[in-house]
Amino acid sequence: MTAATVPGRAERSTSWVPVAIMLAQRSLVSILRIPAAVVPLVAMPVFFVIAFSGSFSSLTKLPQFPTDNILSWMVPFAIVQGSAFAGFGTGFSTVRDMETGFYDRLLLAPGSRLALLVGPILAGVVRCTITLTIVLSFGLALGADLPGGLMGVAALWVASVGVATVATGWALGLVYRVPDQRAGPMLQIGIFFAMFLSTGNVPVDAQTGWVRQIARVNPLTNILELARQGFLGDVRWSTTWPGLVAIAGSLVVLWTFAATGLRRLVR
Amino acid sequence: MSAVVLDPHEVHIGTREAVEQARALARRSIVGTIRQPQVWLPGLLFPMFIAAVNTSTMGRSTSIPGFPEVDSLLDFLLPASITQSVLFGGLSAGSDTATDIQTGFFDRLLASPVSRTSILVGRLTGASVMGAFQAIVFMAVYGAFGVRLAGGVAAGLLLVVYAMVLALVIGGFAAMLALRTGSAEAVQNVFPLTFIALFISSAFFPTELMSGIYRSIATRNPVTWMVDGARHQVIVGLDWSEGARSLGVAAVLATLSILGANAALRARLRQAS
Amino acid sequence: MTRPIEAAGLVRHFGDIVAVDGVDLVVDEGEIFGFLGPNGAGKSTTVRMLTTLLTPTAGSARVAGYDVVAQAGSVRRSIGVALQDAAIDPVMTGRELLRLQAVLHGIPRAEADARGGVLLERVGLSGAADRRVGTYSGGMRRRLDLALALVHEPTVLFLDEPTTGLDPMSRLALWEEVRRLNNEGTTVFLTTQYLEEADELAGRVAIIDGGRIVREGPPKDLKAAVGAPTLVVTVPGDQHAKATEVLSGFGGARPGRAGALAIGLHGGSTAMSGVLRALEDAGVEVEHVELDAPSLDDVFADATGRRLEGAEGPGSPDGQDPA
Repeated sequence: MTAATVPGRAERSTSWVPVAIMLAQRSLVSILRIPAAVVPLVAMPVFFVIAFSGSFSSLTKLPQFPTDNILSWMVPFAIVQGSAFAGFGTGFSTVRDMETGFYDRLLLAPGSRLALLVGPILAGVVRCTITLTIVLSFGLALGADLPGGLMGVAALWVASVGVATVATGWALGLVYRVPDQRAGPMLQIGIFFAMFLSTGNVPVDAQTGWVRQIARVNPLTNILELARQGFLGDVRWSTTWPGLVAIAGSLVVLWTFAATGLRRLVR
Repeated sequence: MSAVVLDPHEVHIGTREAVEQARALARRSIVGTIRQPQVWLPGLLFPMFIAAVNTSTMGRSTSIPGFPEVDSLLDFLLPASITQSVLFGGLSAGSDTATDIQTGFFDRLLASPVSRTSILVGRLTGASVMGAFQAIVFMAVYGAFGVRLAGGVAAGLLLVVYAMVLALVIGGFAAMLALRTGSAEAVQNVFPLTFIALFISSAFFPTELMSGIYRSIATRNPVTWMVDGARHQVIVGLDWSEGARSLGVAAVLATLSILGANAALRARLRQAS
Repeated sequence: MTRPIEAAGLVRHFGDIVAVDGVDLVVDEGEIFGFLGPNGAGKSTTVRMLTTLLTPTAGSARVAGYDVVAQAGSVRRSIGVALQDAAIDPVMTGRELLRLQAVLHGIPRAEADARGGVLLERVGLSGAADRRVGTYSGGMRRRLDLALALVHEPTVLFLDEPTTGLDPMSRLALWEEVRRLNNEGTTVFLTTQYLEEADELAGRVAIIDGGRIVREGPPKDLKAAVGAPTLVVTVPGDQHAKATEVLSGFGGARPGRAGALAIGLHGGSTAMSGVLRALEDAGVEVEHVELDAPSLDDVFADATGRRLEGAEGPGSPDGQDPA
């Protein structure tokens, strides 16, 4: 048996980039091989489009509603939700890796541990793009309007990627601190609270009571505005920059949460 | 004392004995549930949260022409919350049956002179009692937030009975799944279906304000028939025909699911003999 | 000279629990070093510190010449690790996992694939290479785990209870592979709770209990230091006191297995007939008797006053026939 030539230790790459790409690929291959993974990615957002648009179609009759097409309102929300679930899925697969011991193998890799954080981000970006493509096509076929055209789709994509990345940070930060199945319900609750205490169903102006106060300060409200603007009219900077700021701020908070969690895990 | 004969393999067990056994097993089911708050507490809190959020976000929807006359959206949502809670809780009962099978406790029951019917009756009675508890909790909590039952005490009792019968519907279905598959995971996998059935109905919004195919499906959904009948007692007043519709639909479904569960139990017993 | 593994005063706390309480050890190049101890002794915690997966609370360690805290990346580049659980992803194939592992160590894809093929053949998994790992048996997973640990040609290999849960044939095959690796120059740090495994493979053994090393040295020397072989006698429960008195004249008491009395028999096997005669004269009914050459279990018992878990079971660890 001949030994294959392996580059000597000094010649081996120390870059975290190929490792991050490899981890992202692995994550995406897992989706194809675990059929249940398609549920949060596609089935649930599609269901939300149908169910929310079907059940709450008459909300457009409220004077504060900016459109009379409920699909134009709900399709971007469903896509953003699906993007959040993409991050949620990352948390679950990390828990699985920890329980099988596979995560130790990743921690034993000699390069920078940055790859362990960047890999899931890349995977999340691809996952949410898949969700966006399928659910948007479905929504447009059902009758959603897109007056903002390609710019509207771009704005929606930026919002989706932002939410997916933020949700991934939340998921990893939580899982590093609670490295078992108990993290699951907490993950869900966090994402659920963020989604529904915002402008998921109705605009802020149509809301009353305590949720309205929360929605006004919830970063997701601005992110949803960024996502929806192309479905309600033209894409404008005035409705774009608050969403970008909300994404940036959330990224800083939740990725600090993730990074400090990883440091605690290996302490 | 008459014998309760179930099948040729069964030991003859008197009626009084069978009732005692069912009571003991029901007690076990209830005590077991109470000791696992992580299982039933989310089933209470989650619908409350949904209702609280919806009332605050969509509270103005009660002013849309065609919306039933209510003081607050919370009045509208009370029967939906009870239905949601009972449906989710009933799945747990089925999971417990599957867990009994997986741990071998079910075999222990079969190896004892226990009436086979009592096994099922005990589990379903437990689920039904939990349903009553859930209905009372929701009425009390929502009452504290201003919800008043237009139909008074009688309406409240009707809601409790409705919850108990609904618990038999989902409990029987879950028990059937558990007995057929022996897997708690298989029972839990049904959760999305109950969620869909609940959503595509009048639970969260009146069907009168829906349109198209969605409205057609929702109006034909048995959940709509049950929830509308229960809701009538809350927002309009006591109406026995509406109440009978709600209970009648639930009773028919409960009968079907219990028959299904019984058939699954027989099949498992036949496998074992 | 840089030694593959050096640890000084390693300590690890988990809250109030002291899992490792001042471990010093040195492993020389080309050794198979056995780390033996019962469950909860601190073996895996020590391994995790040496492999940079845990930071020591106190003390220091160098592996392959690098500090495990300050130069963790360099340590990881030099070591191969197969931990207690076969660390695999059930959804991936064996070949994909090896490729991933190679990329994790900075090996370019083309070389990674070639190297993976060689390793799969070496551990006997070529036929299953393109099957999902979730379909592998326990023995196959362990072999793949070993292959993953070797992908980057480490100079130091850590094996944490590598044969736990394996059938006897798989265990022997793994032992063979460990010997072959060692013959090729790899230093092996092996933790185990199986005496025979330590006996068979390790040139030197450290026995750990309660987070501390209680004995260290070549197995032969450790056993010889215990001295006399162990005579194990089983008598009816109501005759224990009388039997203990008789046996005390033939050697010092040792911890015995459940229900049995044990002494270190002065004079070895030639003294056995005298013991049996003395017991008979005292009216003690002997149900069973066996004479065990000193084992690592005796070494452990001598150091701690207890038997090692995993020492229980049919036959003596040294393959000695019962008398």
